[in-house]
Amino acid sequence: MKDRNTTSERGGENPPRSIALRDPESNNRVSSAGGVVITHEDIDRAHDREQVSATRARRGFRPRLRLFWLLIGPGILVMLGENDGPSMLSYAATGARFGVGFFVPFVVLTFLMACVVQEMTVRLGAATHRGHAELIFDRFGPFWGWFSMIDLMVGNFLTLVTEFIAIRAGLGFFGVRPAVAVLGALLVLSVALMTHRYWTWERIILGAAIFNLVFVPVALLAHPHWHEVAHSLLTWKPLPGGLTQETVLILVADIGATVTPWMLFFQQSAIADKGLTTHDIRIGRIDTVLGAALATVAALATMLATAPLFVHHMAAANFEAAEFAQALQPFVGHWGAALFALGIFEAGMVAAITISTSSAYAFGEVARRPHSLNLPFKQGKAFYLVLLIEAAAAGGLVLIPGIPLVYIVLLVNVIAVLAMPPALLFLYMLVNDREIMGDLVSPLWANVLALGVVIILVGAGLLFGISVIAPNALAMIGAK
Amino acid sequence: MEKHLDSVPDHEVSREEITSVMTALEPDQLIFAKEHHHCPRRQLTPTEMVIFWALRIYLVFMVGVVVYQIWTGVR
Repeated sequence: MKDRNTTSERGGENPPRSIALRDPESNNRVSSAGGVVITHEDIDRAHDREQVSATRARRGFRPRLRLFWLLIGPGILVMLGENDGPSMLSYAATGARFGVGFFVPFVVLTFLMACVVQEMTVRLGAATHRGHAELIFDRFGPFWGWFSMIDLMVGNFLTLVTEFIAIRAGLGFFGVRPAVAVLGALLVLSVALMTHRYWTWERIILGAAIFNLVFVPVALLAHPHWHEVAHSLLTWKPLPGGLTQETVLILVADIGATVTPWMLFFQQSAIADKGLTTHDIRIGRIDTVLGAALATVAALATMLATAPLFVHHMAAANFEAAEFAQALQPFVGHWGAALFALGIFEAGMVAAITISTSSAYAFGEVARRPHSLNLPFKQGKAFYLVLLIEAAAAGGLVLIPGIPLVYIVLLVNVIAVLAMPPALLFLYMLVNDREIMGDLVSPLWANVLALGVVIILVGAGLLFGISVIAPNALAMIGAK
Repeated sequence: MEKHLDSVPDHEVSREEITSVMTALEPDQLIFAKEHHHCPRRQLTPTEMVIFWALRIYLVFMVGVVVYQIWTGVR
């Protein structure tokens, strides 16, 4: 399928494939001599790629820096997007329940797992220029394709609900009423889409996503014991209290906070929409690792920020969302608590945008409808409507009173872990498919790492199952 | 097939834009190519089929576990 010799980072090196002519039958549609139709998406994407080619052709540090700036995005977005409402609340619950210790290196490990998985989507997206859902449908047929779509859509919708819980809770700290918070978030989401340019949309969301690091100053205000943090990173202390139903739930939720199916679909589709090619894989990898590093810092900061609750023997179960911020106020002050609440809001907001976008991409790929953030609303109605309707439905659900917030967010992360192995199998097979990947199939080391991730995920899922069905059996595998 | 290619520009496309698209994009990056050329279907081997079904059963079973936990939690 792939003929890599004809792929261009052309920059004028290769001649156009054919002479293009305006189609007299259609004022807008343009056909080349070969009958090729050029779309709005093509023109916008070509404009972006011309900038990449021109920058790549120049020598020196500044052009290289600019090239990096032009190509980064999907990796940082997906990693910081996954530091979403339920993830940050999982980290907060972890810090409050267990302090630092076992979970500090454990969270680092989960982000390494995320890097292994997302690197495969970088290669797959750059080599095929197609979204994940489209490739699954094409290669494995609609039977398995629909299974993966159902997994994605159900998981995305449940996660979106929790994003709006985070938005509601974060703004609730400032006295914003739930309905106003949800409507405001939907408005922000719609405004971001009105750019009708992938590039502009990506830069806006990147700007918002960097705000995820707001948890760092909160952690500093909590005056963590750095010696203890460094010691736990280097020695990896055992799980405090051994395996119990609660520790297993937190353990699995923290894994689900970093590796989830929507990330696979989003990053691959975003790479195709951005127009990255095989020449851009190296920067795509750096983008992913950089995103993971930033997300790890934010995740650890959240745990460190809530660690005082553990030190002062306060139960995490008593706190829900912004109540974490209120509980932290005696330790980090009003501004620290306000920053924490803002961070929870930001995490929910950015993830609401990226997750609903991943659903819309997948829908467009499967329904064979135009699916790009480069599309004007009129031409991408189905894409934008799926995105907005899903977000609006999730936001509406959150306004139902009496929802047990922490319990729901932890379970959503657990569901993400359970849905990952089947999703990873599709990814693993696609990225090892020489017919579509050519020479870019996974090397042995990448396959070994991917297999390790699958084993950890399946193991975590089974551990969760045992903890629910036969909690006494945990005693046989290390419970106290 | 034609109905899918409705992502057309609102304005008249200039020769410069056409040249830009033809030179800057790889052949299979064009929407036209994506619409008309799909990856061929591959046949799953019996081993792959078993793994696919095993993971599907695992997922269904584990979702049942989650539902059970929610049910017991509510009670």
